[in-house]
Order: sequence, then C-alpha cells, then structure tokens
Amino acid sequence: MKNITIKNAFFAAALMLTIVSCDSEYKDETPSIAGIAVANPNFSTLEGAAVQGGVVGVLSNSNPNDPSGHYTVFAPTNDAFARLGLINTGTLGGLQNGFLTNTLLYHVSNGDLLASQISNGGTSKSALGPNRRFISRGNDLYINGSKIILTNVNASNGTVHAIDKVMIATGVDIVQSAILLQTAKVFKAPELTFLVAAVVKSGLAPVLADPNANFTIYAPTDAAFKLAGFKTVQDVSNAPAEVLAQVLLNHAIAGGKFTSEQTSTTVVTAGGGSLTYSPFLNGTFTIKSGGITKPANMVIPDIQCSNGIVHVIDQVLIP
Amino acid sequence: MIKKQLLFILAVTTFGYVNTAHSQSPISGFMQGKGKGNVSLSFSSEKYDEVYFIPEKVQGVPVFNETKITSTSIYATYGISNQVDVVLVLPYVTAKGNATPEVLMNLDLQNERKGFQDASVFIKYSPFYFDFGSSSLRLIGALGLKTPLGNYKVEEGFQSIIAIGNRSTTVSTTGMAMYKTNSGIFASAQLAGNYASNNVPNSYATELKIGFAAKSFYGDAFIANQKSTGGVDIFGPGFTGFFPITKVNYTKIGLNLYTPIYKELGVSVGASTLVAGRNIGNSTGYYGGLVYKF
Repeated sequence: MKNITIKNAFFAAALMLTIVSCDSEYKDETPSIAGIAVANPNFSTLEGAAVQGGVVGVLSNSNPNDPSGHYTVFAPTNDAFARLGLINTGTLGGLQNGFLTNTLLYHVSNGDLLASQISNGGTSKSALGPNRRFISRGNDLYINGSKIILTNVNASNGTVHAIDKVMIATGVDIVQSAILLQTAKVFKAPELTFLVAAVVKSGLAPVLADPNANFTIYAPTDAAFKLAGFKTVQDVSNAPAEVLAQVLLNHAIAGGKFTSEQTSTTVVTAGGGSLTYSPFLNGTFTIKSGGITKPANMVIPDIQCSNGIVHVIDQVLIP
Repeated sequence: MIKKQLLFILAVTTFGYVNTAHSQSPISGFMQGKGKGNVSLSFSSEKYDEVYFIPEKVQGVPVFNETKITSTSIYATYGISNQVDVVLVLPYVTAKGNATPEVLMNLDLQNERKGFQDASVFIKYSPFYFDFGSSSLRLIGALGLKTPLGNYKVEEGFQSIIAIGNRSTTVSTTGMAMYKTNSGIFASAQLAGNYASNNVPNSYATELKIGFAAKSFYGDAFIANQKSTGGVDIFGPGFTGFFPITKVNYTKIGLNLYTPIYKELGVSVGASTLVAGRNIGNSTGYYGGLVYKF
C-alpha cells in the first residue's frame, strides 16, 4: 500500500514538473523592429522617440501598406540623436510631437531594402513621403547625410540598418521650412526667427521658395545673428534690404547637396563670394567666409527641403 | 500526527503590469477545520529593472526604467466545515516607476499609482482524504472570483505599465493534490485555470510545493508557472502600447517560512524570484506578515 502511494505521489510530482517547465521556447523567435530598438541600449533614445512619437505600435506590427508586411528602418543610434543635443529621452521634450513623428516616419520605408539593393545614386521613398538618396563616399554608404554603420538586422516585420545621424525632411520649400522653425513647429522654442526676418526684408523669399530652384543653404541660428551684432529680430528688420540680401546670398549655393555629397573645399556662393570648407570628417565640415575669423560649425546638418538642402550653422557667413 | 490546523501560509497577491500575477497561489493544501481559521496582515515588496521580452531579457523597463510594487494585504481563511474553507484576499497596491521628470512631462505620465486592487474570494472544497497510516493524500478543488474593489481606472498606453490593475473580473478553478507524511514532510501540486472577463488573456497556472510542517515551524519551497492561453507579445503583432492584453508567461521559484511567536500569533516571511518569463518583469520580491490563528 505504502509503495503504491509513494509511486502515485512520485508520478504526480513528475507530471507537475513537466507542466511546470521553464518557458524557454521563444528564445529562437525574431523580435520586431520595435523589439530590436528596445533591446539594444544603443537605440534607447530612438525607443523614447518612438514612444513619444506614437510609432511603437506601428513598428511592432506588420506593415499593412506592403504585400510583404515588412518595413525597412534606418535607425539613428544614441550618438546620432546626441549630435542634435538630444542626449537622452528627456531632451526629446524640446521637440514638437508632430515633427518627431514625421521625422521617425522619414526613417521608415515599405518592404525590405537590403544592403545589397542599395547603391550610389539610388533613391528610396520614405513612409513620410519624400525620397531619401543613397550616396557612396570612399568605402562608406550614406543615406542622405547619414552614414549607414550597420546593415541588415533582421526583424520579424522587416529590416533595420543603423545610421550615425538623424535624417530630417520638411516636405516643404526652404522658406516654409524656416518658418516651421520660426513658428515653433519643430522645436517648442522658436528658432531661425532672425533668419526669417532677414529673408522677408531682403526680398529673397520668392527665390528661396521657388519650387524649380535647388539650393544648398546655410541657415544661421538666432544665436549666430546675435553673435553678428543683431540684438533683436527688429534690428534685422531695420537693416537695409540690399545689405541683408548680400549677406544672405553668401549663404546660398546652387545645387542642393548633403554633407556626404560635398567633395570640393571651396564653393562660389549665389552672391559671387566664396566659402571654404574644412575636410569632411565624421559626417560634417566647417564653413569659413571672408568676413569671419573662425569657421562656422553645423548645428543641424542635412535638412531636406522640397527645393534644396539646409544646414543650420552657428555663425553668420559675413562675405 | 501533524494536525491539519497547524498551518497556513499567507499568499502575497500583487498584480502589476509588465509584471506579475499572483506571487503564489492563495490556495494551500491544508484545510482549516470547522470553525477554525486565521487572518494575516502582510507587507510585500518586489522590484525589477529587467524585462523578459522576445527573445531575450532586456535591461530597463520601457519609459519607467524600473518598477517597484509594494502591497499590503489582508488574507483570511475560515473553515465552514471540515471539508470547506473560504479564503479572502484584499491587497492595497502601490506601483512606482522611475521615469525622469522630463520624460513624465513629455509623455504626460505619472510615476506612481496606488489603491485597493482586486479582492479575491475562494471556496475550497476537499471531498477526498485518504489516510494511509503514516501518510495521507488530500484532493482539493477551489473556485475563485477576483474582482476590482476600488474605483481605480484602467490606464491607457504606457501608463498601463504602472497601474493598480486592469479591472478584469477573473474566475479561477483550481485542482490540487496534497501528500503529507506524519513526519511533517509534504508535497502539493495544483493546476488552476483563470478566465478573465475582459480582453485580459485567460491563463493557467501550476504550482509545485514541497515543505515541512510541524507545530512550531513551517517551511516550503515552490516552483510556480503561468502561461497565458492568448494575448499578444509586447512589441509583437497586435501590440498597440497597451500592456494588460499581453500574454504573460513565467516560471517563479520561492520559499515561505512561518513560526508561532506568542499564543495564537505567528510571523511569516518569504521570497520569490522569476527564473524565466515572457512579457514580464524579472522581479524578485519579499514579504513579511503577522498571522493570527483562531
């Protein structure tokens, strides 16, 4: 009797142990794009941006807009965000959520775009709308001004490539893009307010808004204008139009180029002056004009507008 | 002969979101006996800063970085007859996250939620008891109902990581076998099915416990497992940022100790930790409680 009882108890215990087995059957499962961003500490700012921008659900699920159900995401690393002063998820609060969402969608496209399908001169339509372009420079491959530093990370709902700079597209022309910043549609604090005033007063707005134009524009920040002696936006508006036009034309170059596409060291501006670039290093270069002693640095490089590329800089390029 | 009225061990019940289910089942293998029972007040604390996602354990709770759940619970059990016990559990839960003030402001979230959670009532019925002389086998069936007591609201989006509960009413059925020897050694095994009223996935849970029960001391070690029968994976297909609808699987180990201290009063302590999981925080928790037996 006792033996039977012990046998029964042993059998019951063995049965329970089988049921109470460790849950490890998912170790071979492939995470989604959102899962990859969350799991990798180098994408923690991107994770925060996806939460704040409301795209976590999108990147957790299959893509309803593509037969494959997949997305391709060019994922900026934490260092990429830090270049813009976005050093952690808390600093993302300086951005408008609508702009953040659009920026994230600019990094996303339909279907799988593998590294083998990317080549110099190619383009890829973003989920936001505007195309991104691929540029080969030396041994590196760039999407716009952003270097692709890791390729073909396989996700359950697509493919992830890591990039070293956040890509920005406004979807509107250069003037409208500047106004987005001026009216705090990008950052919660207004920016480029001096520049917008200068563009309006100079009479150059129609040129910079021309949909058939294609410029590279260096856009000085408000702090840059203050450094150049303009204390207020009103000071800019009070300046003679022709002087402002002359200064502004020193910030415009025919042909919109991302940093990755800029190979020459000097360029002629739309005003007939010249700018000198430092060698391309770590995705950027400095810009020197005749009227400034120290070269200007890029604050926000490679903003794609519908009629050109804008690089926000920290000094006014006095001719 | 170890008498059935010896024992009991309290159950700590917390229910957080990336987090936990019952730390252990409130259904023990011991029956109180007619007119007898006990009441306990316990305090538990558990914390995690790692989460079991697919396919791996990830450092850092999304948004909140880490989660700490403390609960104060009243647990009472009473023997209506020698074969029927009633069990009541009422937890007051505080869930805390550790998101930075900037992140909380950006996302309009809060680091803390607290309140009375869901009250549970169980009816335990032990129709079969086999006395083998030097040992015995008891079979128990239990029917439970867990329902929100307070007026806490269902949190939306990522706030649902730090939440009191999900306002689900859950019916659970438990089947259990308890084998013990006259020397005090015992082993119990149970299988429970949990059926939730809303879109919280149903689940089944198992618990295997071995221990020693004597008049002046009680100790056990357990391994518990839960598997959801539905639900979505966090960051997987169907996930929209709402955590209560996620599938929650885990395997947990723990231990419980109890000793009488003065007359009918005793103290209990315990600890448990996750060893595997899916869509759940890798939490380790402790509790301590005062038990009054009558």
